[in-house]
Amino acid sequence: MSQAFTKAMARNIFYGGTVFFLLLFLALSFDTVSALPKRDNRANLTEAVAQGKKLWENNNCIGCHTLLGEGAYFAPELGNAFKRLGGKDGVMAFIKSRPAGGIPGRRSMPQFNFTDAQLNALAEFLKYSSEINSANWPPNVQG
Amino acid sequence: MQKNKYPPGDLAIWIFILAELLVFAAFFGAYAFTRLKNVELFNYYQMTLDRNAALLNTLALITSSYFVVRAVADIREDDSKGCKRWLWAAIAMGAFFIVIKGGEYAHHFSAGVTLSSNTFYMFYLSLTFFHFMHVILGMVILAAVALKVGRGGYSADEHTGVETGASYWHMVDLVWLILFPLIYVMR
Amino acid sequence: MQYSSQAVAKPYFIAAIGLFVGQILFGLILGLQYVLGDFLFPEIPFNVARMVHTNLLIVWLLFGFMGAAYYLVPEESERELESPGLAIAMFWIFLVAGALTILGYLLVPYAGLAQLTGNDLLPTMGREFLEQPTITKLGIVVVALSFLYNIGMTVLKGRKTVVSLVLLIGLTGLAVFFLFSFYNPDNLVLDKFFWWWVVHLWVEGVWELILGSILAFVLIKTTGVDREVIEKWLYIIIAMTLITGIIGTGHHYYWIGTPEYWQWWGSVFSAMEPIPFFMMTVFAFNMVNKRRREHPNKAAVLWALGTATMAFLGAGVWGFLHTLAPVNYYTHGSQITAAHGHMAFYGAYVMIVLTMISYAMPMLRGRTAANSNKSQVLEMWSFWLMTIAIVFITLFLTAAGILQVFLQRMGENPLPFMVVQEKVALFYWLREIAGLVFLIGLLTYVASFFVGNDEPEAKTAG
Repeated sequence: MSQAFTKAMARNIFYGGTVFFLLLFLALSFDTVSALPKRDNRANLTEAVAQGKKLWENNNCIGCHTLLGEGAYFAPELGNAFKRLGGKDGVMAFIKSRPAGGIPGRRSMPQFNFTDAQLNALAEFLKYSSEINSANWPPNVQG
Repeated sequence: MQKNKYPPGDLAIWIFILAELLVFAAFFGAYAFTRLKNVELFNYYQMTLDRNAALLNTLALITSSYFVVRAVADIREDDSKGCKRWLWAAIAMGAFFIVIKGGEYAHHFSAGVTLSSNTFYMFYLSLTFFHFMHVILGMVILAAVALKVGRGGYSADEHTGVETGASYWHMVDLVWLILFPLIYVMR
Repeated sequence: MQYSSQAVAKPYFIAAIGLFVGQILFGLILGLQYVLGDFLFPEIPFNVARMVHTNLLIVWLLFGFMGAAYYLVPEESERELESPGLAIAMFWIFLVAGALTILGYLLVPYAGLAQLTGNDLLPTMGREFLEQPTITKLGIVVVALSFLYNIGMTVLKGRKTVVSLVLLIGLTGLAVFFLFSFYNPDNLVLDKFFWWWVVHLWVEGVWELILGSILAFVLIKTTGVDREVIEKWLYIIIAMTLITGIIGTGHHYYWIGTPEYWQWWGSVFSAMEPIPFFMMTVFAFNMVNKRRREHPNKAAVLWALGTATMAFLGAGVWGFLHTLAPVNYYTHGSQITAAHGHMAFYGAYVMIVLTMISYAMPMLRGRTAANSNKSQVLEMWSFWLMTIAIVFITLFLTAAGILQVFLQRMGENPLPFMVVQEKVALFYWLREIAGLVFLIGLLTYVASFFVGNDEPEAKTAG
């Protein structure tokens, strides 16, 4: 007498299905990694951009902002901040002009006391990020 | 009592089959929807597909399904030898499909076609490759069943495993029978 | 308690609850900063508080998972833990490393912490949820490996059940995918692509295996339903989880520079991700309905049913709401994401750990099966307070998110981010109030451990 629904079959589906979809995922990931050079703006990944990314990480900017929609939702999206703030000078001036004590009653960005070279690197990083092909996201300049 | 059991095979495989059909249905729907919005692009690139190869493959899968039916009929008559032979014949037809389809892929890839080439090729490659992997999985399942039949693991009284493998294989065949007209024929 | 080495679970559970309280306190700070922007600025800026909030969550859930494993594996394997001493040693290492990391976040500016811990040697910091200094990450790997060794040896040398095998697969996957946190290329798209191999493949992949096996264990124990039946369900549920969830990773690859076919792959597969959660709900209620005995620990059964329900709502329904690419185009990175995150984490992972604690703690504290009635009543109050509070937090954040999307991303004249934030402030205030209710629920939960201890155990009614 056989059962309608056996544990052995459920087990086989678990192992078989997992291996099957893991392989499929790896195949798609392989295709993605080989398709990325056309989309990820790596041609403009300069020394300054790399330094800017490190500054972005070392100051935990993602703890307030999103970048390409990922991060915290406390402060504006930065994937297109380069465009919104009017290019490099706009970005550098904004970061530089944050008051150390914050703005009373409002959400404030800290004053990080960056050097000019660091400000330049951050702006370069945001420029590079804004040129990644993100399938037209965000929907508009407000992010 | 076994012969009238419904659905045939293990119930667990039917949950899996339903989930798979749901995925394919969603993909087919997405394909039809996108095609409506890009009829010209789709028509143009559909011409680059090898219809004859696909027709051959359709025949191969239908034949394999027939073989699987014969295999189930044999085991119901307690004929393990016959069952085993039909199963391997079905697997051979599956291998035939893989070779033909592999040839088509080789042709496209050498022409530089990728998932990112255009919307049509994205759907063509996604759908057929997803199905292609199912054919391979189906062959693995049938082979496992055939090996167990060879060891005398099934009989007229107890052959749920054969029915389970057969059900899965018919699903793979069924999906192709929708895929073929949808992608190759319909213009 | 059948095996004396199960006792090592107790400190893990106590630490988990303690860190949980910390997590919620920082959550309330964050909620207040949403409406009073300068609250605690610049002493505890938002990013620091958020990092503490999310990292505490991850750490206490890991404590909970480890405690759960140490409790259930000896019972499933029918032998003592391979090395209880190692388990206790790892407890202290993990606790001290976790505490030092949190103190580092709070006392040193983040850039200083990066310098102090030599982040330049192997930069891994400053990415969402993976903010820990590299040395802490290495510590996590050591703890995870020792833990896996301990659990793995116990399972392999003892009775192998589906529950313990699935748990072991889940925990192994947890350790393996964490290794991708050490990969941090300069290329932002590659960085993000593999970052999800940790984050998504954890919470929408291997963690669900851990969740499933703990739930199965508690249901076996409390309902008395045949193990065969429960294990069958477990297999089919986790099969569906991985079948949908692995390719479902694609729903994070719509707008981060990855190829656009992910919009189709991700949408189709992640749209199916609610299925395993729905099956889990049906499964849990079915098993409890078919129960062969009345377990005196009613609170644990309530938590188990709550997990199945809230995981479906939070992860399944709220996930589905914004998983399709055309919808996600507008909702990506908005308060809707936050709404989903809160209910999914609470419903799936917070609740499963509390289920296990609720089931195991009475035995770990010397009871035979359950706490006194008084204690259980208070615990069930805390269940309802926290669960209803999280539902309202989610609803208010969803409302804020819908308005945000509408005002900031749609229409003719999209408004700037900060203007929109002020317009939806009412919902942030309501969320904060719901957060306070959650804290009251949590304090009630803690209190339930201290009341009715000198009263007799609850008996099964009828």
